[in-house]
Amino acid sequence: MKKLAIGLYLLMTLVLLVWATIKALDPNLTPNDAAQGEMFRIIYYHVPSASVAFFFFAINLVGSVGYLASRHNHANLAQRFDAWALAGAEVGVVFCTVVLVTGPLWGRRAWGIWWTWDARLTTTLVLWLIYVSYLLLRRFADGPQVQTLAAVLGIFGAVDVPIVYMSNRWWRTTHPAPVFGGGEGSGMDPSMVGALLWNMLAWFLWGVLVLAFRYRVEREQQKIAAAEADQALNS
Amino acid sequence: MKKFGPALIIAVPIALFCWAGYLVLSAPPEPPFDWRLHMTEAQHAAAVAPINHLYTRAAYTVTWAIQLGYTAWLCLRWWSQKQR
Repeated sequence: MKKLAIGLYLLMTLVLLVWATIKALDPNLTPNDAAQGEMFRIIYYHVPSASVAFFFFAINLVGSVGYLASRHNHANLAQRFDAWALAGAEVGVVFCTVVLVTGPLWGRRAWGIWWTWDARLTTTLVLWLIYVSYLLLRRFADGPQVQTLAAVLGIFGAVDVPIVYMSNRWWRTTHPAPVFGGGEGSGMDPSMVGALLWNMLAWFLWGVLVLAFRYRVEREQQKIAAAEADQALNS
Repeated sequence: MKKFGPALIIAVPIALFCWAGYLVLSAPPEPPFDWRLHMTEAQHAAAVAPINHLYTRAAYTVTWAIQLGYTAWLCLRWWSQKQR
């Protein structure tokens, strides 16, 4: 029953991803932007990836706080929180990487440059670097305090998320103003909103699937590590 | 057959990365900075349309390459855990 549900979820996600991509690329379904032409279509992958990355960094924050709160009294629960935190950071980094790769491709055509040190781009790069540091710490550091240190780093990393989100409201940036909720003149033509929302839904569902898979792999890893530690103690 | 599966899930993202790079590198040269002196708006739009098309396709391709690459790495990790 569980396998059937996972299979159905996977199928639905893949169908949605295909539909969302067709919707984003087909000029008969979604028109080109009047000013930027076809280039604007990068938004349908760029913005959903950023939104989903923020969501997964929030999962990392919840997992990190949960780990710190439960590590002394509820060891098993703490391990679960830790696995969610690691999975959230890793999947978040993947989506953030998509943002940092598709953004320069768009920027090269729209601004004539691959990269500029404006507030939105710089804070996003810093966010990516913080979570890559988190993953490197988890991968290469050793000892009983690694999970605690990683949890603290995860909480500090989450502080950058609202800064990234607000950066093009707080500072004058080369990066365009927010499409939604950006004040007067912001917004999107209704004929384009559908493609963006379909892609947001599709990539969110895909991200959740990958997150659940990563969580499962990490839990298995924790069990293997615990078994190996037991074996070492008993031998 | 056992090695074909892992090889395929690694090869697909690598091929997609290479394809995205090829799309960007194969883009025709951009009109000069002072294009307004040499061509009309319509001519400029016609000149940049194929470049925009290739860059857009490259962005979509690289997105899939990253996502499938990560999923491939995760699958390999899962397989190695199952073998242990």
